Order: sequence, then structure tokens, then C-alpha cells
Amino acid sequence: MSPPDCIRVLSPVGEVRRRVLTAPALPPDLRGKTIGFLDNTKPNFDKLVAEMAGLLRERFGVKAVVHRRKANASTPAAPEILAELAKACDLVLAGSAD
Amino acid sequence: MTLRSQVLELPDSPEAVFQAFCEREWCDGLPIIPPTPERVEAMLASVAGDAEESLGPLPPLWREATLEKLAVNSVMAGCLPEFFPVVLAAVEAMLDPAFNLYGVQATTHPVAPLLILNGPYARTIGMQSGAGCFGPGFRANATIGRALRLILMNVGGGWPGGHDMATHGSPAKYSYAIAENESASPWASHHVELGYAANQSVVTVFGGEAPHNVNDHVSTRAAGILHTASDTAATLGSNVKWYLSQSQLLIVLGPEHAATIAADGFSKDDVKVFVFEHARLPLGTLKLGGMWGIQEWPDWMLAVTDDRALLPSVASPEEILVVVAGGAGKHSAVVPNCTFSRAVHRPLTRLRA
Repeated sequence: MSPPDCIRVLSPVGEVRRRVLTAPALPPDLRGKTIGFLDNTKPNFDKLVAEMAGLLRERFGVKAVVHRRKANASTPAAPEILAELAKACDLVLAGSAD
Repeated sequence: MTLRSQVLELPDSPEAVFQAFCEREWCDGLPIIPPTPERVEAMLASVAGDAEESLGPLPPLWREATLEKLAVNSVMAGCLPEFFPVVLAAVEAMLDPAFNLYGVQATTHPVAPLLILNGPYARTIGMQSGAGCFGPGFRANATIGRALRLILMNVGGGWPGGHDMATHGSPAKYSYAIAENESASPWASHHVELGYAANQSVVTVFGGEAPHNVNDHVSTRAAGILHTASDTAATLGSNVKWYLSQSQLLIVLGPEHAATIAADGFSKDDVKVFVFEHARLPLGTLKLGGMWGIQEWPDWMLAVTDDRALLPSVASPEEILVVVAGGAGKHSAVVPNCTFSRAVHRPLTRLRA
């Protein structure tokens, strides 16, 4: 029973049923690791990747950098790109540079 | 009927309920109908299916589109129970992967899902297809479109500036729903063109910009009107043409323009071919800005070097949708899509007999 002069209403907010995945912890040391970049095609992301790849190699001892580009900025990456990055990389960075 | 949503007890005044929902970021800034359990149950009673049934997780936060949550938001929007089957069909359509709802919800582009209702149910519920159909004044149009927006915000989690990253948003994000003016169309209506029977009722969702006006007060032939429409469709700032594989154009012809075009012997396919051939920009213009350099084009277009070459806005005439809607007057509208979402249609299947 509601108190007098009160109204009972329902929350419109949806609830999550899917199993929540927890991302593994980041590696404490990048030496000898392979780093992936998922390029969303926005202008200059390729330049950012080139710059960061150099820094990662020089300063952090990264072994290799894998740079893959989506078809366009607003659609999901193709499954084969995700599979390749998951197989080849210890860590993948995704981002926007616009 | 067992409802599972969190219950709030609020002071029983319109102002207090509205304030509480605004504070929680549960509404679009306009007053709502309080979603009491009784009202939600009445909404659910209009469709086949259990309250707990989910149509799927809605992006970007992947929260479940249960019939109960869809009903709560439809009550808030002001829907009558008989509008609810249309809302469900539209959510089913938006969850089709071809619609790419994640992209539509999260983009900086001002896209909103335009709902087009075809068939007899539009007339049953009074969905406006005539004068002012994109505008205010019609409860079915206003509240069905608003219900979709509240669902996208409250269930999907697309809050402006948060997970909905639209730079400006759009008035179309408040509500964007029309019916086709089938009785004023000289051609088969959109759902018949898709292969449905005329007596079926079908929802189409189209991830589009707000309508762009096509004012042609002088043309007495099809070509004049369709040149005006084509010119409206081919603009440097529109996404259409840059991501060509998913570019689509919706041409909403006013009945007077449609009659003039049909009187010239044009079929609907002729309209599509004409616009396909004329909604073009020269390569030299495309190089001036827009998305030049990051476009997704087929190899043949990337190979073009003549700055005078006219390049298409969509990949084929089939990527142009044509419907007739509106009232008297010499106006039509072009609705460019966002180019990362394709139009999807679903029949109304949950009408309770």
C-alpha cells in the first residue's frame, strides 16, 4: 500500500542480463609485447599510430606494432580483423582521433 | 501479471513526478504520463507476449528490451495501448544488425530513426499521413516516435553528451514517425513494393537526418520536380555518398508533386533512376571538404581523376526509397540516411486478436 497522496511508478531503465566480461589486467611491462591499434579511419589516427609505435618501441621495448583499419568510422570492425588482433597482440588500443 | 521493475513512491502530483524523472535523467525534458503498474499492465495487454520477454539487448549499454520496459516508456510517452504493437515492431526492426543501432545511438551525426507505418493499422490508430505529418498535432505520430526515443535513452542508455555523442542532436530525436499517404499515392505503397500484401501493416525504420525541404512551385513536368529533389539530395555536407555502400536516400513526395510526376508517365522505379542519375556532385566539388580523404568508395570511383566527373550519391537506384506523404502544397522532402545504417522493415505481428 502506498502512503496517502503518493503514487507508485515503475522505473523505465533497462537491466543487463548478459554475462559481464572482465578485461584481463594490463601487462605490467610492455617489453617484448606486440601492441595492436584498431584505426577507426578518422583523420590523423594513422599519424598518431605511427608516432606512438615509435615511442612504444624506443621507450618501452615493444617488439611489434600491428595497425589495422576498419571499413569506416561508424560500423563495427570486421570479425576477421578482431580475430587477427586477438591472435597476434598482447594489448590492443582502439580510439578516435578526430 | 508480475512486473519486475523497481517501484518508486512519489508525491502524487504531475509536477513532482515530472521533476523526479528529470532529476534521474529518465525523460526527454517534456512532461510524462506517470508509469503506474496499472497503466503498464494495460499497455502490455494490447500485445501478445510476456512482460519478461526481451526483444534483445539495446546498445550502447546493452540493456534488455523487455516488453515491460518498452511498455513503461510507452506509457511515459503518452501512447495509447493500441499504439504499442507499432512500438514493438519498430524496436524489433532497429535490433536487426543491418540497422546498426550501436552506430545510430553513439554517433556524432544527427541521425534519428524515422518510423514509417504502412497498411490499415495506420488508419486504425490515426497515424497522420497527410498535412503536417512530420510536425505536431497528432497523438499517434508524436507519442509513438517519442516512445522510441525514451526507449533508446532509458533502455539503450543513449543519453545526450554521454553515450549519445551527437554534436547537436536533432529535433527529429524527440519524435519522428509518419504513415504513408497511401490513398494519395499514384503508385503501389512502400510495403507492397517490399512484397507485403496491401492489407498487412508494416513498420519501416530509416536512420535519417531531419527532412530537407524540396520546394518546387513552378515545375509542371516530372523532370523539373525531380531535378529539384536531386539537387536537394546532393550536398557536400550530407553523409550520403561518402560511405557509399550504405548510403540511402528517402524521397518523401508530397501528393501534388507525386501526381505531377505520375501524370508524366513516371513509375516509382523511374523516379528512383532519375534521382540516381541526377543526385550527383562533381569530383572537384567533393574535393573541397566533407569527408574527402576518408570516404569509403568502390575502386571505380576512387580511380576517377576528371574533376568534372559527376559521382553518384548512392550505389544504385534501389538504394532510393520513395513514399508519398503530406498534404496540399508544392513541397516534398529528402531524408538522407546516416550512411552506417540501412532501412529495415517488420510486419506488425504482436497485435492481440
